[in-house]
Amino acid sequence: MDCASLNPFPQAAAFRRSRSEVMRLARMGCAHPTRLSFLRTLLRRVTDQGWVFARPVWDVDDTGVGRAVYRATGPERTYSLVAFAHDLPDEMRSDRVIATAWDATFTMFDGEPSQDDLDRLQANVPLQEAGRISRKELSLSRANRSVRLFEHVIDRLAAGQQPDFEEVESVGYLMRTTAVYGSGKFGAADLASISGRPELCAPFQVEMLSVWLTRQFTVDIAEHLARVRGGDRAVQLDPAIKRTLGVGNSTGLGMAPFLVRHPVLLNNWMMAREEALARVRAQDTADPACVAGFRAALSDAQENAAKWASTHPIQVTKLDELRRDLAKLADHTREWPPLNDPHPWDALWRWAEEELSLEGQEALLSVMLEPHGDLIDGLADCMIADEQATFRLDGAMTVSALSDRLERDYDWALDIDFDQPENAARFWYVSEEKLEPRLGNRFEEDGAALEQPLCIARLAKDLHIALAMWRGDTPLATFLLAHPEHRLMTRRAQVVQRHPYSEVRDNLIAAEMLPIDLMRCKLAFFGASRFDPRSDKWVRISLFQGLPYPSDLCPEGWA
Amino acid sequence: MTSAAIDDLEPNDPTRSGPPLLGEDGAWLSNNEIEQLCLKAARGAGMSWGLAEEAGFAAAWLARRGIDGPLAVLTQLNHAQGRGWNEICPVVAPDRLYPADGHILCPIALGAALCDHGTLLGLGADQKSLRIGPVSHPILLLPFLSDLARTCGVNLRLAWPGGTVLLGVDGSLLGDVDVLGAETAFEAEISGHVGSVSHDQRTPQTRLVASDTLGGLNTYALTTTVPASDASRAGAGADDNE
Repeated sequence: MDCASLNPFPQAAAFRRSRSEVMRLARMGCAHPTRLSFLRTLLRRVTDQGWVFARPVWDVDDTGVGRAVYRATGPERTYSLVAFAHDLPDEMRSDRVIATAWDATFTMFDGEPSQDDLDRLQANVPLQEAGRISRKELSLSRANRSVRLFEHVIDRLAAGQQPDFEEVESVGYLMRTTAVYGSGKFGAADLASISGRPELCAPFQVEMLSVWLTRQFTVDIAEHLARVRGGDRAVQLDPAIKRTLGVGNSTGLGMAPFLVRHPVLLNNWMMAREEALARVRAQDTADPACVAGFRAALSDAQENAAKWASTHPIQVTKLDELRRDLAKLADHTREWPPLNDPHPWDALWRWAEEELSLEGQEALLSVMLEPHGDLIDGLADCMIADEQATFRLDGAMTVSALSDRLERDYDWALDIDFDQPENAARFWYVSEEKLEPRLGNRFEEDGAALEQPLCIARLAKDLHIALAMWRGDTPLATFLLAHPEHRLMTRRAQVVQRHPYSEVRDNLIAAEMLPIDLMRCKLAFFGASRFDPRSDKWVRISLFQGLPYPSDLCPEGWA
Repeated sequence: MTSAAIDDLEPNDPTRSGPPLLGEDGAWLSNNEIEQLCLKAARGAGMSWGLAEEAGFAAAWLARRGIDGPLAVLTQLNHAQGRGWNEICPVVAPDRLYPADGHILCPIALGAALCDHGTLLGLGADQKSLRIGPVSHPILLLPFLSDLARTCGVNLRLAWPGGTVLLGVDGSLLGDVDVLGAETAFEAEISGHVGSVSHDQRTPQTRLVASDTLGGLNTYALTTTVPASDASRAGAGADDNE
């Protein structure tokens, strides 16, 4: 679908932020979840379409070992999360990707699994990467307990009491997923084979559904174990406490290169979000209902910022800025909007650009989008990408045309002096141990000869230099016969022509580059909250915190 | 699955293939896995990243049509070992793409070059035909010729002494595909095909990749990875038990 030709709001283009502003790591590393985030899109869909949820299988014994099935039925199809609960000794509990056992393991089955399917999955899913799933499955994931909170909650519920609210808030989840593998991993169905389904035409919908049903499982298993321990005395979790629990997630460096490896997808995510902001800014009035919605969202953002904890020095500074900015924003908008301002939302945005930190500006973006669902929610359908459609490069393009494009689209890269050690200090590689992306120090560690092609700035500069040695009217097809090493970057540079937000406009091998900035941007698009870096290379987040459960939508499914 | 079988798993297997489903001698791979494995293997075997992407594309395209793309890529990578780029990349003349100095072309390099030249090749006009080759493992040309047909907006005919294959602008594929799969090298002619290419008879059949193929591709793929060091592990992932 060509979204541009369907745009009902062409006047927004004049209000769109430029890529040189948006595609910087410092700003991407301040991204907040919005109503276009993928888990919000999922919740809107299942609510609007009246999906039916149930737990047809709960076969878990008194030690907490067994299996369960969570069924999600939409207008056309049924999906089933198959969960395996394990009794994991504490010493084996690790969130590292090198772990070999977990508290619970999951797969999303495409349809309703038979007994044979469940037995087949039982033999494979608990092994995770060492097992194989099939075309009937859509995802593979696992989760570990928060030892501290999980035990506390079971203890209290078993004794007929509710858990300590502060304890619940300080951890925020009963279990955290440590990996959620989707499309085509370990034998699962390819994304291409399911991407035509209307319910999956936003990114990562299977993964989001899987995590949401997993959240239900984390509460179900805790209540089950409390009943085992406490018998008739045991109580269920108080709904208000339950709602504050999300699913935790630990994410290491493995996620960081994703946005670089999928430039068209990155463009489409950014473009949708930027178009949404532009549409809001382009309005010539501030509708009273939207103003009220804005105030409510701002209040929620302030409450979230107050509860958002981190001990990482960079994040601590950012949180200080965020809280200060939100207070300033609340103050500024107390008498807002002014009468007769031709573009009140735009005026607010321009005020923020002058007055707020990047953290505050990006938070405002999220708050401004919140009350404008009618105006922007359709953009969620423009966020997937057909990467095959952009794979074939145009070899008829001339050397001089590509050189000109590089000077326009990679101006930020061409001036970098890579002979300066600080500009080439890192290198991305894949570890033999677990085949995960890692980041090394070029001048201290071995392995730079096996560098992954994520050093886009340098690749662009090298290509620009190589092109300068050729006659300008030479077709790229000829150039590439002599220079196969520039094929990858040539392809990327051509993608940028039609996808302005496809490239992170920073040096990804610079000494001061922070991989957590890439991770925060991606996780915000997922809808993750409470971003909490534990180093500059791995983070904790929470998903679905404060949002409803499947059993809230369909209580009868848990009767 | 027994614990002994778990212990036997290759710990560094890039596909992380575990117990093969249905007890077959190999593993069922998704197209995404086939593409990624072949990309890494091609890179490990010495291709540039951009060409390695073409190898991954070609393997997955073939696999989607029930053709053993992974085996074809592995066979080609083995064949090209020790040969320099100048030996396997084509020289492009107006009516011919051929190797320098009596060498034999790599089908991935040739296919990519054909696609890069696209409309510059003038196929479809005035019954123009192109001679190609000699090229090894020519089954790997099909994905590229299919893309070329789409790019040029013209159905293509690939003809060689052993048979003919037709490739439609719509991605359809017809003719002596199995014969082509058995050719280890050939010289052929590409021309525009007047008339339709009837709809594709080939349905996706299998994604079972044989153990030997997996092993060979994995061996190449692993050479793109860096052994772990204490420095690399530090801080790379999560390990706490809150």
